Amino acid sequence: MNGAMNRKLLFVLGPVTGVVMFVGVVMIATFLTNREYREPYRAPAAAVDATPRVAGLADERAEAETNARTKIYEEAEYRTFPVVGSRVAIWAVAQLHLLFAAFVLAVPLFAFIIEVIGYKTGDLRYDRLAHEFTRLLSVSFSLTATFGAFLTFMLIALYPKFTNYLMSVFSPTFLPYVLLFFAEAFFLYTYYYGWGKFHPRVHLALGLGLNLVGTAIMFIANAWLTFMMSPRGVSETGAVISVWDAVYNFTWMPINVHRVIANIAFGGSVAAAYAAFKFLTAESDEERAHYDWMGYIGNFVAISAFLPLPFAGYWLASEIYAYSQTLGLQMMGGAFSWLFIIQAVLIGNLFLAANYYLWLGMGRVEGVQPLQKFIKYLLIGIALCFMVWATPRSIIATVSEVRAMGGSAHPVLGFLGVMSAKNTAVNILILTTFMSFLLYRRTGKIAAVAWAKAGHAAQLAIFAGVAIFVIFLGVYGYFVEASVRIGLSVPQVTSVLFAMVSITAIDVFLFRGAKRTGEVRWGRIPAISQYVLIFIAVTFTWLMGLMGYVRSGLRQHWHVYGVIRDTSADAFTPTLGFATQVVSVTVLMFFVLIGVVFWITSLHERAEYRALVPSPEKVPHTGADMVLDGARLSAEPRGAD
Amino acid sequence: MTIPVGPRIGALVLATTAFYGYVGQMVPQNEVQPPAEILIRADLTTPEMVEIGRDITTGKGLCRTCHTLGQTGALRFPDLDGVAVRAQSRVPGLSEVEYFAQSLYEPDRFIVPGFNPGMPTINRPPIGLTDQEILCVIAYLQSLGGTPTVTLQTAHPYYTPPAAAPPAPGTAPGEPPAQGAAPGAAPPAAAPPAPGAAPVVPPPQGTAPGTAPAPAAGTVTP
Repeated sequence: MNGAMNRKLLFVLGPVTGVVMFVGVVMIATFLTNREYREPYRAPAAAVDATPRVAGLADERAEAETNARTKIYEEAEYRTFPVVGSRVAIWAVAQLHLLFAAFVLAVPLFAFIIEVIGYKTGDLRYDRLAHEFTRLLSVSFSLTATFGAFLTFMLIALYPKFTNYLMSVFSPTFLPYVLLFFAEAFFLYTYYYGWGKFHPRVHLALGLGLNLVGTAIMFIANAWLTFMMSPRGVSETGAVISVWDAVYNFTWMPINVHRVIANIAFGGSVAAAYAAFKFLTAESDEERAHYDWMGYIGNFVAISAFLPLPFAGYWLASEIYAYSQTLGLQMMGGAFSWLFIIQAVLIGNLFLAANYYLWLGMGRVEGVQPLQKFIKYLLIGIALCFMVWATPRSIIATVSEVRAMGGSAHPVLGFLGVMSAKNTAVNILILTTFMSFLLYRRTGKIAAVAWAKAGHAAQLAIFAGVAIFVIFLGVYGYFVEASVRIGLSVPQVTSVLFAMVSITAIDVFLFRGAKRTGEVRWGRIPAISQYVLIFIAVTFTWLMGLMGYVRSGLRQHWHVYGVIRDTSADAFTPTLGFATQVVSVTVLMFFVLIGVVFWITSLHERAEYRALVPSPEKVPHTGADMVLDGARLSAEPRGAD
Repeated sequence: MTIPVGPRIGALVLATTAFYGYVGQMVPQNEVQPPAEILIRADLTTPEMVEIGRDITTGKGLCRTCHTLGQTGALRFPDLDGVAVRAQSRVPGLSEVEYFAQSLYEPDRFIVPGFNPGMPTINRPPIGLTDQEILCVIAYLQSLGGTPTVTLQTAHPYYTPPAAAPPAPGTAPGEPPAQGAAPGAAPPAAAPPAPGAAPVVPPPQGTAPGTAPAPAAGTVTP
């Protein structure tokens, strides 16, 4: 075995040594050649300036001083960032700021809810869990603020004229923003450090304050960025008419709602990834059980928020269309249309991974077999919906293929690439994932109420009825005019929401006092489930990066759409390939930083340093060592050898 | 040999981001440049205007983002194929040029039945075409099923060329030149609107100037 290994090693080392030697020879040769003696260059006598050197230098200095005195002040419109350029630099910093901000806003939301559950039920596990989530906050808060300051300085330095314009419009919002930031710091640190130090109601009030202030901060910042996309309250030349109208622009409230929900989904997934990391590095069954539960709760929060997210997305898109059909069509049918195919791949993966995690999680519960037979049907449904959603309307094809198809749309598959099919697919996808949740919820339980049979039948009827209705509307959309078809997405969405709310309501009463057939064995889940949680977190983060790009990139060559034009070298809209590269790099940077956050957070679990060294009595006193408060300052105790 | 958890997680994160980055390379790669400034010479001929108009509809004008050409079925916005023929009788009282001008300067005045309002005002930001660029677009639209007639000297209710001659007696504003006129001859111009006045509502053909226009059949007012 060792011999074979050594031969393999030699096989690899041989070429590597050869390459290293070759590079070494080239470097030595270059070094020697560069230092070879050469005759110094001497200007021909006729070309030599007759001016004495000292006088010439004095003239140069005088000229430089004169130029410096008379230099005219010019306001820079743009400045360039080295290597990657201004746009990519701002893009990456803004994205990192937003990701950390989303995390810092989301975690207190569900930590507060979990703490409320703990307070109401008296179950201390919830209180511990909420506290553990909150531990991730303080370092993240510092990073958010640092990236926020970084972004502001970058904007001032790289886009001074545009930043100056935004400041002139929104200056009345700055003071409230700063004051709210102070308030958030107060609430966050008292909420975290005051855990267990106040009456539970006082502590909950601090948590509520933290959430209210954090949300208000986000709403103010959202006004700035949504104004850039759908400006209002300014004249055609950009003069401010109404600051409130500038704040309350077309896309402000849809973005507010969309971001609150998306932040919860994202925060839940990152917190679940933290739990997964802790599960994988846990050394005892007790730890594994705790972090399995924490990961489950984090993922539950993420997917629960993820399910209504497309509805908030519909609202945002409809407001974009209402503001400007051109902007809406650029998004869905123009330069960014292919981006939504990438989005479909991401969301399809999220749905698949979330369902897979739930199905793996069923193994924790005894007596799960009767429900597992349904999983294959759910998987088929999800796969079909995923395929429809990822079908492009126009296919990338050669000229001859386009001729053969009679156009860029495939004669059969092309029908699946339109909004009627895609809306139907995503609604069925949501319904299917909801069913997975429902199955998971009832594993190990049997309804004991008298009306159990009728309850199950009602749930099934609602589910089937809504699924048929959604599919019917999708098919009907092919046969009606555009003005009617666009409106069909509203009853589709409403019926799915109705199904989710009504089926959950029935389920709550149906399983009240249910008979248990098996206990949940937390920690008894395959390790791969934890990698699924990490995959979900990465996918969520990447999705946020991508959708942040489309929201911002939609303005194309405008800083403020239709008002302030981008005249910089970066005014063009990059290819989707380039955009996805920037998103990928930013996501990697985020995960490196969040890894640091996890590491710093886990430091509190380490044994204290003074506990690792011998107590003062055990250290031989030589008169040279200093022992203060149990901490040894010298590297090795003298005399220890 | 067991790979530690840290490198495994790192590899998973790297592989996932690399996969999504790869998916991003698989879709069509288009770099969209800001619309180039269009140089419109004063001596452009109508065929040249048609060419420029075509470029504007696919570029700066963003027309083709919404409007298709030669497609049928459940469309979101009207198809432009043969639009010149339909424009002649789309709104009673409006000539082809007047209808096109109204659609571009005041798009919500008439909505084609079966479609929703959504057309932006073309001479205002963010599209912001100049009057001359709009004339080129009209020339191109005329070429879609008809014969282009407009020149840079063509007047319509929303625009009067700087050196336009007063309308010839008995000729309606925007009316194409009489048969037999020399190619490229300037049609008669309408009276310029007062500075700062609201866009002039084009009067139906045959209406005396200054008479309030009767609402056209099928007109949707915002």
